[in-house]
Amino acid sequence: MIRNSELWGGLFWLAIGAFVIWAGRDMGLGRLHQPGSGFAFYWIGILMCALALGVIGQALVSGGPPLASLWAGTRWPKVLAVIGLLLVYGVGFEAIGFIPCTLALLLALMWFVDPVDWRLAIVVAVVATFGVWAALTKWLKIQLPAGLLADILG
Amino acid sequence: MDILAGLGQGFAVALQPINLLYCFIGVFIGTLVGVLPGIGPVSAMSLLLPVTLSGTPESGIIMMAGIYYGSMYGGSTTSILVNIPGEAASVVTCIDGHEMARQGRAGPALGMSALASFAAGTFAIIALSLVAPTLARVAVAFGPPEYFSLMLLGLTILSFLSQGSMAKALLMAAVGVVLGLIGMDQITAQARLTFDRLELLDGIGLVPIVMGLFGVAEILSNLDRELKREVIKARIGGLWPSLADWTAAKWAILRGTVLGFFLGILPGGGAVIASFASYAMEKKLADRPERFGKGAIEGVAGPEAANNAAAGGAFIPLMTLGIPPNVVMALLLGAFIIHGLQPGPLMMTQRPDLFWGIVASMYIGNAMLLVLNMPLIGMWVQVLKLPYRILFPLILMFCIVGVFASGNAVFDVFVMVLFGVLGYLMRKFGYEPAPLVLAFVLGPMLENNLRKSLILSQGDFTIFVERPISAVCLVLAAAALAAPLLPALARRRARLAADQT
Repeated sequence: MIRNSELWGGLFWLAIGAFVIWAGRDMGLGRLHQPGSGFAFYWIGILMCALALGVIGQALVSGGPPLASLWAGTRWPKVLAVIGLLLVYGVGFEAIGFIPCTLALLLALMWFVDPVDWRLAIVVAVVATFGVWAALTKWLKIQLPAGLLADILG
Repeated sequence: MDILAGLGQGFAVALQPINLLYCFIGVFIGTLVGVLPGIGPVSAMSLLLPVTLSGTPESGIIMMAGIYYGSMYGGSTTSILVNIPGEAASVVTCIDGHEMARQGRAGPALGMSALASFAAGTFAIIALSLVAPTLARVAVAFGPPEYFSLMLLGLTILSFLSQGSMAKALLMAAVGVVLGLIGMDQITAQARLTFDRLELLDGIGLVPIVMGLFGVAEILSNLDRELKREVIKARIGGLWPSLADWTAAKWAILRGTVLGFFLGILPGGGAVIASFASYAMEKKLADRPERFGKGAIEGVAGPEAANNAAAGGAFIPLMTLGIPPNVVMALLLGAFIIHGLQPGPLMMTQRPDLFWGIVASMYIGNAMLLVLNMPLIGMWVQVLKLPYRILFPLILMFCIVGVFASGNAVFDVFVMVLFGVLGYLMRKFGYEPAPLVLAFVLGPMLENNLRKSLILSQGDFTIFVERPISAVCLVLAAAALAAPLLPALARRRARLAADQT
């Protein structure tokens, strides 16, 4: 029972629902004729808890797939690598700039995560990065961080 | 007569060269994202939402609408040739479409798909032109209780029609409402669930949530298992279906069109449900149902007609009531809002050029799609051969750029990653993202109308049942909630969910 994925899913949302109820009360419920800022949160939190209890009840009665089965055969290193690369990209985006960050991200994805021929990866990364940069900044007038290349790009 | 005058005004707008160009870009991109597995109309429209700012409102919205109905056409190409749906509404086309391709009849399958889509799309636009003005006149009488109940009905129906557990779908809708309410309270100016982050005072953006839940999560899901794609290698040949094909498919097209249109109007309905319902209906009505799954052309024609008619029908609640019936329309609502426009009953009188311009552009776009999908089919087959390992880094880059451009804030990129991970886990645990996103958009309107109703009635909840339209909506919502308790309906719903899986 403890390995039942449905149970854990339900418990997670039950905790979130309880937090929403608490937050709603904290914001102030107001009166029925003048509902406060927390009124909707409070009642939706209660609804969430009720539904989460329904999911938990269903898991206890009918069971559910074990947690491990959800990850069977999963190529999770690739998934973790993409998430990690996106986070690193976000951290460096403003300081390092769009062009270096995007080039590095695309090359990392095509060299290490799901590899393609390294020469093809370079061509795709360079064309895509500079193409998007030109389309956005020159055509659509959308500002992208220049970062390290601020002096060169103006 | 008013309708003809309106359409005349609409064509004057839609035929302007710049709007023709935006319409073409929209249907082209729509077909492209329909063809490419792993990116659908929701991701593409989120991505291009900031781009609409660079032109006039009508140009931007014409383009966004084109992406939606264009993707309905493109999705079938991938279903037929690769046996992987290009987007969700084409899942069911895989069954008989790919089987036809394996039997060397890819051409007639693709041709029938495009022609059925064209016929249904045209019907839906004509029906939209006729129904929308009448509904808009009725909708003027809607007050906060009616809007609240109608939105509640939409969320309930969407949850009812979702795959798997209805409790999970409703739970996702509740989470979506909570997320939609984050930020400054419009009435009291109190910060709500902002955790002292300035970036959250205006609420979480729609684009990072959608790109995370649909774009990044889809990529993570595709990467976590080996994606097998094998494009049919045989020559596609003549696209025009034979007389026997037409005879077999004509009623399926008609039934799929009518069914799809009404399911499209229904709040919470949409193209996916329409295509499945049409397939089930055709199989039930067939003289020899055993042919289905073995290359029956009705199994391609009916669902393709239904999903295109539903795409047209879905514009009705948005344009006449200002309520998006599905996630794609929620994004279109976002496009209206960023241009300072509020779709609804007054739009037809205040901005008839915009309303009829969009409708007229759909006639033109539908004709463009026929050209894009019949003679240019070879080009889309080449696109299909692009390896996913090159495609996914590019999609990720477009997601990041789209999210950053929508709010000019790196914070949104982190929000996208967070929702990407959440969306990935939700798929693993069997929770659907669609109710969450629709509720996220409807949440602030839902709360606003609830509070206004309670203020109007001095805190009396009977206001929701005293008004007939509101009462009908609530009864229907209650029926949808209670339906799974009836064993026969529960079995039917479980069967539909199993089919969709």
